[in-house]
Amino acid sequence: MANNTTLHQQLLCSALEAIINKALALSLNGTQSLYPLEQKNLVVYLAELGFPLSFIVNNSKVLVTSLSENPDCAIHTSVKTLVALKNEQSLTELIKQDKLDIVGDIKIAQQYANMAETLEIDWQSELAKHIGDVPTYKLTQLSKKLADKLGFAVKQIQADSTEWLVHEKRLVVTSSQIAAFNLQVSELEIHTETVNDRFLAIEKALLNRSSKQFAVNSNKDSSE
Amino acid sequence: MSPQDQDNQENSTHFGYQTVDKSEKESKVAGVFHSVAAQYDVMNDLMSFGIHRLWKRFTIDASGVRPGNKVLDLAGGTGDLTAKFSQLVGKDGQVILADINSSMLNVGRDKLRDRGLVQNIEYVQANAQHLPFEDNTFDIITIAFGLRNVTDKDEALRSMFRVLKPGGRLLVLEFSKPEQELVSKAYDFYSFNILPKMGELVAKDGDSYQYLAESIRMHPDQDTLKEMMNNAGFEQTTYKNLTGGVVALHKGYKF
Ligand SMILES: C[S@@+](CC[C@H](N)C(=O)[O-])C[C@H]1O[C@@H](n2cnc3c(N)ncnc32)[C@H](O)[C@@H]1O
Repeated sequence: MANNTTLHQQLLCSALEAIINKALALSLNGTQSLYPLEQKNLVVYLAELGFPLSFIVNNSKVLVTSLSENPDCAIHTSVKTLVALKNEQSLTELIKQDKLDIVGDIKIAQQYANMAETLEIDWQSELAKHIGDVPTYKLTQLSKKLADKLGFAVKQIQADSTEWLVHEKRLVVTSSQIAAFNLQVSELEIHTETVNDRFLAIEKALLNRSSKQFAVNSNKDSSE
Repeated sequence: MSPQDQDNQENSTHFGYQTVDKSEKESKVAGVFHSVAAQYDVMNDLMSFGIHRLWKRFTIDASGVRPGNKVLDLAGGTGDLTAKFSQLVGKDGQVILADINSSMLNVGRDKLRDRGLVQNIEYVQANAQHLPFEDNTFDIITIAFGLRNVTDKDEALRSMFRVLKPGGRLLVLEFSKPEQELVSKAYDFYSFNILPKMGELVAKDGDSYQYLAESIRMHPDQDTLKEMMNNAGFEQTTYKNLTGGVVALHKGYKF
């Protein structure tokens, strides 16, 4: 398989890594919150992103990559879910609604959430430094909506982990089920588009025919 | 072809666009890297507009490295890949930075030590063609922008295959053949007109950068390198073009 690959993914990871570590260096107890996370790997799959974001801590630094093999904890969700997150909703509810899946040790997610809490990051100006103004504008449009929701999600992860732990794992959809479902949806979308195209073609043909008919009739009328 | 010509061909190889004796190439390449070592990192950033960092990140992402892995960063030079691998394999893993050139190794060692990366890195001066490691030693081998400088690439690939563990993988990051004519032309202009001048201005060493540009053009294209990896025993060999094929990442497994 030989295809061309763009490097947006690596650019985003590199920007996130720089921003997070800068914020950690500035925060008072930033690096302390990393001790329990040494060599612990959290992978976040956001449906819209199309690639995993993987976080691992080494020597009080956070590394951000797209490496996704055997993480200690993996979260599958979508930006859409996070944006639509209602204040009264709990993680377990989202899991039941198939909107979120956590695989592995949820304590790791909880500790990462604790660490994220301690950081104060002005995403807009920080991202602009790394990836330029235009992509940042697009990203921050989205992240404005996301920012307070993310804060809330972080709190939910902290609060709900114990409840989640006693929850039956079979409630959780697996990533392969999600993938199969997504595939079905996109297939359906293609079918609908084809049918729609056909409708349009038929409609056009009918219109053509009736306007020709109209012209013939009106010619007849005028000659009579 | 007269027997003498054949003999000449067998004993000769490319040093950039020049044809030189095989025995001579190694010392000429050594000359280039002794001479660029001190300025190597600055020049890398300048020449590639910093994109080499993303190519290297892509390599790390494709390596599937895990805590505890044993990694060989071959022709590792000043250690960019080693630095990342060292953090990702953690204290239970190990990274060996191997290079034929002592000046490059020294610059690499100083840089990594300054960054506090000491616990799991070893430095070995070695020729890729005759790796001084036991069979089946490494989970991952990377060679980034190094293979084109090696005199006998086939022998080097066989040597890498030997020291890789079954299930292990080799990643070759190297300049390659741009897919589009236009990109190719712009890139040629850049490498033959601008790059050596930059080398002259910043590193006071235009000749070395002229060699680098020439050696890039003489390096096998994507499919040829893939074939060479297969011939050395690698399986499931694939490649991905980066930046329009200016660079390609080849990956192959030993089973
Ligand atoms: C362009 S540098 C690349 C350094 C580093 N991997 C990077 O990507 O920045 C090429 C390196 O290959 C090394 N090299 C050349 N021939 C070699 C050989 N036969 N065996 C091992 N290393 C070699 C050089 O000494 C030099 O450090």
